[in-house]
Amino acid sequence: MTHQVALTIRAKVKPGETEDLKDLLSIVGADIERNEILPFARLSNVHFARFVILDGGEKDPNQSIQPSLVFASNVDAPLGDHLTEWVRDFGEGLDQVYSHCEGYPGPDQRTPSSRLDYLQAHMVPSQAFYVNTIGRTVEQIHQEAQLRDILEGFLDRQQAEYDWSGWDARRVHAAIQDFIRGQPDLRWAERPAEGLTFGWRLKERIRFFLILLVLLVLAPVSLLVLPIWLILLRYHEKRDAAQERHLRLSHQTRKTLALDEDRLVQNQFSAVGNVKPGWFRVLTVRALLWALNISFRHIFNRGILAGVDTIHFAQWIMIDGGQRILFLSNYDGSLESYMDDFINKVAWGLNAVFSNGVGYPKTNWLVLEGANDEQAFKAFLRKHQIPTQAWYTAYGWLTARNIDNNAKLRAGLYGEKEEQDAARWLQRL
Amino acid sequence: MESTMSDLELKDIQGLVVRGYGSLEAACYIPLQIQDGEAARHWLVTLADQITNADTRPTHTALNVAFTHAGLVDLGLDAETLASFPNEFTEGMTSERSRRVLGDHGENAPEKWVWGGPNTPPVQILLICFAVDEPTLETFSGSLSRGFSGVAQIGETLTTILLRDPQTGYSKEHFGFRDAISEPLIEGLGKSGPPATTVKAGEFILGYPNEYDLLTERPTVRVERDSQGLLPDDPSESGVRDLGRNGSYLVFRQLHQDVGRFWQFLDDATKDAVGNSDPEAQVRLAAKMVGRWPSGAPLVRAADQDNPELGQENDFGYHDTDPLGRRCPLGAHIRRTNPRDSLDPNLGPQKTLAINKRHRILRRGRPYGDPVSASMQIEDIMSADKSGDRGLHFICFNANIGRQFEFVQQTWINNPKFAGLYEDTDPLIGDRDPRGIMHANVFTEQAMPARRRVTDLPQYVFVRGGAYFFMPGIRALRYLGSLKALP
Repeated sequence: MTHQVALTIRAKVKPGETEDLKDLLSIVGADIERNEILPFARLSNVHFARFVILDGGEKDPNQSIQPSLVFASNVDAPLGDHLTEWVRDFGEGLDQVYSHCEGYPGPDQRTPSSRLDYLQAHMVPSQAFYVNTIGRTVEQIHQEAQLRDILEGFLDRQQAEYDWSGWDARRVHAAIQDFIRGQPDLRWAERPAEGLTFGWRLKERIRFFLILLVLLVLAPVSLLVLPIWLILLRYHEKRDAAQERHLRLSHQTRKTLALDEDRLVQNQFSAVGNVKPGWFRVLTVRALLWALNISFRHIFNRGILAGVDTIHFAQWIMIDGGQRILFLSNYDGSLESYMDDFINKVAWGLNAVFSNGVGYPKTNWLVLEGANDEQAFKAFLRKHQIPTQAWYTAYGWLTARNIDNNAKLRAGLYGEKEEQDAARWLQRL
Repeated sequence: MESTMSDLELKDIQGLVVRGYGSLEAACYIPLQIQDGEAARHWLVTLADQITNADTRPTHTALNVAFTHAGLVDLGLDAETLASFPNEFTEGMTSERSRRVLGDHGENAPEKWVWGGPNTPPVQILLICFAVDEPTLETFSGSLSRGFSGVAQIGETLTTILLRDPQTGYSKEHFGFRDAISEPLIEGLGKSGPPATTVKAGEFILGYPNEYDLLTERPTVRVERDSQGLLPDDPSESGVRDLGRNGSYLVFRQLHQDVGRFWQFLDDATKDAVGNSDPEAQVRLAAKMVGRWPSGAPLVRAADQDNPELGQENDFGYHDTDPLGRRCPLGAHIRRTNPRDSLDPNLGPQKTLAINKRHRILRRGRPYGDPVSASMQIEDIMSADKSGDRGLHFICFNANIGRQFEFVQQTWINNPKFAGLYEDTDPLIGDRDPRGIMHANVFTEQAMPARRRVTDLPQYVFVRGGAYFFMPGIRALRYLGSLKALP
């Protein structure tokens, strides 16, 4: 009965300790579930988590930003429980990691509460947070995956015995119901998933309504501002286009990145980029992320983001006073297909946000062109992609589409069905 | 931008890119290594005069040539130009990354390859020879070998065979199925076909607009490195010449087919309750796995039994006729390698087809090894002795290895999650144990009232060799021959 939240903690790495920290995190990453430092599999409500070191200096030699460590996780609310679990169960592991960071309590001052204070003091907000399906917990995902395996096993056994000849879909469905009823540890499947409470959903509706109301009230002002903003936008787009050099994919080094990506089912993507200088771009991108976040929270919250059904979670985080944007996502399939999905389905949305970043392929009117320049866009993503030092997923063998299918299997398991509905349900197996 | 026939510089494109030389029944591939760069370049210049271009329809012999990255290095191409080639080509087929993407581990690991892997000398140049018959091919390749200068053959000549159904004349592959039916048509090449299968030239030939209406990245040379002016100017960058124009990337995979294992598996999977074989059920399951019947008839059109009259049929989709895979299973070989209009039901068939066109390849391979039965009839294949080495010399052309060949291999063929599935990979050529981290040896047949599954699919197609090659345009070939030795 809970929604998901994004936790992001950013701490400066002590000078000269970046390499040691990378070594330590590579031990964590090598066996993310069971390593001795931070065995993530012991956490019960974490969907995804990662450690990323922002080098600052490596991508852009002119930059003098101190390297920092970012921990980002997508967890089931309440966040307090997650943090408590961290400092209670992972205290020593946290000490090992964060002793490389500035301001961490000294060896004799480390207690659960001092650790908690440190983490809380270093939390940074996400300007936009995308959740595939709001309210679907780790527990639910695990349970429903197990249910599907059991259903498949049942069908396999039945298929070996008799080939369903002469059976209609309702009869097969009823046979499945009988079988599951006979399994005492699958009692939970008889109830629908808890999902979000009525109160929470009502609160969200009211929130969305109020936002729309405020926007309506502000409409006259917006109409005045809009032409000025458009003129400024065109001015900046023309000026930026002249500065951007031709990006080539073949020039993007990717050896280390390529070995971390294209894992079989799910993948992570971390990227950091500079916002174009000047207040215009910073304000524009802030406003857009705000709008994007509202659309994620209130519109695209049921599995499909404008045609893309392969993203589990994504976060946009403005850092360094708006100078840089950190983008983190957890998605299905290969990076190549992820980037193709972007171009083919949501080019406009990417253009709106990322065209405020330095080096993005030329856009027109904020949303046109840009990502449609296929290879230049892929080169831009490659150029800004950064290694993720350690990455955890709680259900790495499931795509978002699998998870959604499993949820629908559970939802349709019980109750009387018409022949057609039973046939449609059986098609999910 | 519409490209028309006159836009394609056919005289500069090597012939194999645009045609498979079907009338030249004999073919072989000769792997070469460069021994002396200077002599090899001279040899290349004379070779360029013999290369078959796309403007001619050879009736006697044909010759084409392609290079690996290592070949271009030893020919003396400068580092800056080499760096303008795409990463996939530069890193090659056996890099850590490619192995993952292609599923080349375990039995398919490059260490086990008979050529192209780390345990055999690197192939640098591939000569591709065709002739009207075997004796002519022998004479032709013999005369070519006698002319070698600065290069030497390494490893065996890769021979081929044309498998034809004696009754229909159609070409088949060793398992007994009709092959080479669905090929994209290159837009602007003259032949007209359904728009769904007509693909922009730039998807296969560098220098022309691709399916994004853009020019695919291509290798370039600084103007001062082309003092003889052999190459055309690059259309989008000043000060550089286009080394890629009219060239293409050739992907070569030697795929061994264990015909015995294939039919043994089908027999085991279809035996009745008392253990009797059921040949009809074997063919039926095989057809479900392929997506076509042995004659070539697509399951979408002929769901229940073979219909040889539909053997040529290629003008079909899945979106309207078979969205749930009850005729042609969602994971069938032809539905994975070319999902047509079914890739994303939410987008609708038109948009999906447009996306699908960005992942097409032009197949130009030929089988090798004697067939288990000369008749190529399924009944004879099932009962014949199946020992021996045979398979497919898979060859395909594409302009962007990462977006085309590798994408198809990774995101469609070897992806257990393709089309919403869970643990199926391509039932013919898929990785049964992707990355060595997940079993995906299931084949699901969507059916009413409930699906049927076959589990524990064995592997019966094995990678035995392979490499990524660049097949340059003929001007670019002359440029490679004109390179000066580095001081």
